[in-house]
Amino acid sequence: MTYYDALVVGSGIAGMESALKLGDMGYKVLLVEKEASVGGRMILLSKVFPTLDCASCISTPKMAASIHHPNVTALTYAEVDGIARDGDGTFKATIRQKPRFVDEAACTGCQLCETACTVAVPDQFNADMVARRAAYITFPQAVPKKAVLERAGTSPCIYTCPAGIKAHGYVSLIRSGEYEKAFQLVLEATPLVGTLGRACYAPCEGECTRGSLEGSLPIRRLKRFAADTHYAAMSGPGVEIPPPNGKRVAIVGSGPAGLTAAWQLARGGYGVKIFEAAPVAGGFLRLAIPAYRLPPEVVDQDISNVTALGVEIATNSPVSDLEALRRDGFDAVLVATGTPLSTSLNVPGEKLEGVQPGLAFLRATKLGGGADLTGKRVVVVGGGNVAMDAARTAVRMGASETTVAYRRGRAEMPAHSAEVDDAERDGVRFDFLVAPIEVSGDASGSAHATGRVTDLRCQRMALGKPDGSGRRRPEPIKGSEFTIACDTVIVAIGMASEATAFGGQVTATANGSVVADAHTLQTTVPHIFAAGDVTTGASDITRAVGQGRRAAHMIDRWLRGEPLEGFDLDDMLPVVDKGAVLARQKSYDGHSQAFAPAAHSGTGGPADFGEIEAALTEAEARGSAGDCLDCGVCAECGECVTACPSDAIHLDMREKVDEVRVGAVVVATGYKLFAADLKPEYGFGRYKNVITGMQMDRLLAPTRPYNTVLRPGDGKVPERIAYILCTGSRDETVGNPLCSRFCCMYSIKQNQLVMGALPLAEVTVHYMDIRAPGKRYDEFYESAKSMGATYVKGRVAKVTEKDDGNLILRYEDIEHGGALVEAEYDMVVLAVGVQPNRDVERLFSGEALALDDYHYVAEPNEDIDPGRTSIPGVFVAGTASGAKDIADSIVHAGAAVAQVAAHLESLKVPA
Amino acid sequence: MTASNRDVREIVREEPFMRDRILNVLAEGPHTVPEIAAAIDRPAHEAMFWVMGMRRYGFVREIKEVTPEGFFRYGAVQKEARS
Repeated sequence: MTYYDALVVGSGIAGMESALKLGDMGYKVLLVEKEASVGGRMILLSKVFPTLDCASCISTPKMAASIHHPNVTALTYAEVDGIARDGDGTFKATIRQKPRFVDEAACTGCQLCETACTVAVPDQFNADMVARRAAYITFPQAVPKKAVLERAGTSPCIYTCPAGIKAHGYVSLIRSGEYEKAFQLVLEATPLVGTLGRACYAPCEGECTRGSLEGSLPIRRLKRFAADTHYAAMSGPGVEIPPPNGKRVAIVGSGPAGLTAAWQLARGGYGVKIFEAAPVAGGFLRLAIPAYRLPPEVVDQDISNVTALGVEIATNSPVSDLEALRRDGFDAVLVATGTPLSTSLNVPGEKLEGVQPGLAFLRATKLGGGADLTGKRVVVVGGGNVAMDAARTAVRMGASETTVAYRRGRAEMPAHSAEVDDAERDGVRFDFLVAPIEVSGDASGSAHATGRVTDLRCQRMALGKPDGSGRRRPEPIKGSEFTIACDTVIVAIGMASEATAFGGQVTATANGSVVADAHTLQTTVPHIFAAGDVTTGASDITRAVGQGRRAAHMIDRWLRGEPLEGFDLDDMLPVVDKGAVLARQKSYDGHSQAFAPAAHSGTGGPADFGEIEAALTEAEARGSAGDCLDCGVCAECGECVTACPSDAIHLDMREKVDEVRVGAVVVATGYKLFAADLKPEYGFGRYKNVITGMQMDRLLAPTRPYNTVLRPGDGKVPERIAYILCTGSRDETVGNPLCSRFCCMYSIKQNQLVMGALPLAEVTVHYMDIRAPGKRYDEFYESAKSMGATYVKGRVAKVTEKDDGNLILRYEDIEHGGALVEAEYDMVVLAVGVQPNRDVERLFSGEALALDDYHYVAEPNEDIDPGRTSIPGVFVAGTASGAKDIADSIVHAGAAVAQVAAHLESLKVPA
Repeated sequence: MTASNRDVREIVREEPFMRDRILNVLAEGPHTVPEIAAAIDRPAHEAMFWVMGMRRYGFVREIKEVTPEGFFRYGAVQKEARS
């Protein structure tokens, strides 16, 4: 465990001074700062009083020295999680280094990442008066001047996507108008951008934090918007074809898993050939999902992304001998044949004419050979998505009556609720808690004879206890048999894979799935991998895409001789807490509903197989994307990674926790500013031209958020500015009876600076009494008066706002007979007081650091022993022990340093 | 003036979304913040956040002279000039 003579917590002016002086004395010092730059608040000020020296000019040398001093180790963007005293009088401190996601050694501070970033957040270093980016450099004089990515965790939409698609990223890009980049970001995961933009069941939307407000963003349709925009401009993916790496991979099956794997492998330079048994490529995308949900031309566009990279797709090419592929020169094989078999009803009469499996029915319809159901009565047996597709297709094929018979209730249906809703909207009737027991025909009256279907004999069911799937088991009700008259029965009760087709070359489970390791997707034959529904059983497109992506990654590693274990394909940060996301804002006033019309408009019946869902217009897409809450803050759009010329961005950085031993501790954690909205009579937060003193200091600073001092409400150059002193200090009503000691002086400083910046401006200060007790402070006050600032004695009772944003101050003019006066101003500055930083209470374990009556760090003998605290070996410097101006903070730090030195030397003295 | 009092984070978050709308307005020439706000039908204090954010990242630039009403005008910066 590394030993330091002293740990200094906080790098404001008192912390820096403490560290530097101790370093100068030869002590080894660890300086820990929670922000990404040293400097604290002083570096953010315009000038200092009473000298009007530039705060930056006198801060930055100390900041640079703190980082470069040979005896000072400075950790920025780090937090002290706990300090405990050991028996020998030293301390053990736990330091948590937060990840910057930027390699400090490589980062040049060029800010290209910040310029490229697509996420805007309030800039706390500009007192929330302007936006910064999620990728940012704290402020222009930051030391070290290194970027940091603000990441609160993984956004729920990304975290929940089985396909590994960065949903937050493409939403953020669309919000910024970068539609092609959004398309390309989805392409990083899969070529099926248009397909997923239509047929994905969008688990991301189910997790969208906006869902608990006005409703989820239309994340899936935003993806469709990106795809439609791309395909309207070009065919193919718009990416460069990678140079071949000389290795070949065969993929059996061209469904979403196979196509995604092919895409990923081809982008890595592999020669890929897909073998497809059907006459068209796409698997269920082309053979099962109806065109009204997924037009075939969209699938073709997505497939063209794959073929554009040189992937060869051989249709009408079933594979039964996987080993032969090896002999044909393929270095690896991926089996991705899905679940092409329909599960049988296993009831009498299933061979009758008019009974057909759901998959066969859908396939025939998609390939143009579907039965004419005009005027026919159709019963679809099943409650999954295939059943819904079959029922809605039957309606479009002319069925006069379509009924879905399902053995459980609606709540237990495996079909997505939106599909069920849409089927109802199409006119499909549902018969729940019904199980078929026989299909009856017209040839001989015997269900075992050949003939045509006449009706379906069924039995009513009741739900019993949950079965292995977690759903309540349907149990027959005796004597409840009945018949449904029908001409066609479509069986859609399940699907299965066809692993037996490979003649035992890969191990299969009892239900026909290929056995593959869940992580590596490797089968029992090392060079054969399997992905998608053929291994998992029927799932959905998005999971199949995720499996295909994983399989490609594993095949690539295997072919490069790298281990398949010991890593995580999607090494994500923990998902953000939605409650914490919502707590970032005091209020929400979203407008997503105005921009995102219902996905399905109109209630008319289906006319044909034309696509039902309307595309988002550009305005709708951009407006919807604009509602994203940026849950993880960083959207993972990758723009910073692309922009960085030094390859310094590393999203895989993670927090590091270390323990150090120290001889002494200096608490220099500073103060907090009074929250001005706790004085509602002054209107801060409601009236846009009421600002705090810190905000005015930022407006006056060289690195200010605006081009000059302007009203935040409308950008007007203010002509009449009022100050209200003692806002939140010397005020029992807010629980702070203490004087903040420097508010009068910083206000006087600002008075002078404002009059310099805006020569025509009138400045009026409303005060109780001016406290200017330091060296040359009173002269500074007199100077402000002589420059033209007006000082009015009397507490301001209330501020009200006019329609034009001007502000009316109502106050008692004590020095002119106590008259109640109302005065109008363009802008009001609240000289807010300071409050203790109570974060310090969490620093120590084992023994509490004593605080004074006002919750500042107590100095038990501050008159004669300044800097000492209640814990031997722990000292306090600066405003952590009470309000002080900069000069006094430095003097106090000097006292603390002397105490530390005495303490450290005393440890050396033999007992 | 206080008709809209949305959370600062919510306003700021919309800057990338509002950027093109504001640049479209500025395609006609420099405008003050209240003029921009009126053109995009949003409150002036919200437009102030967006315009100042865009100024920070080089999308707009102020014109030196102040209008008789006390406002700066902001003009679009051409993309080539930004890069």
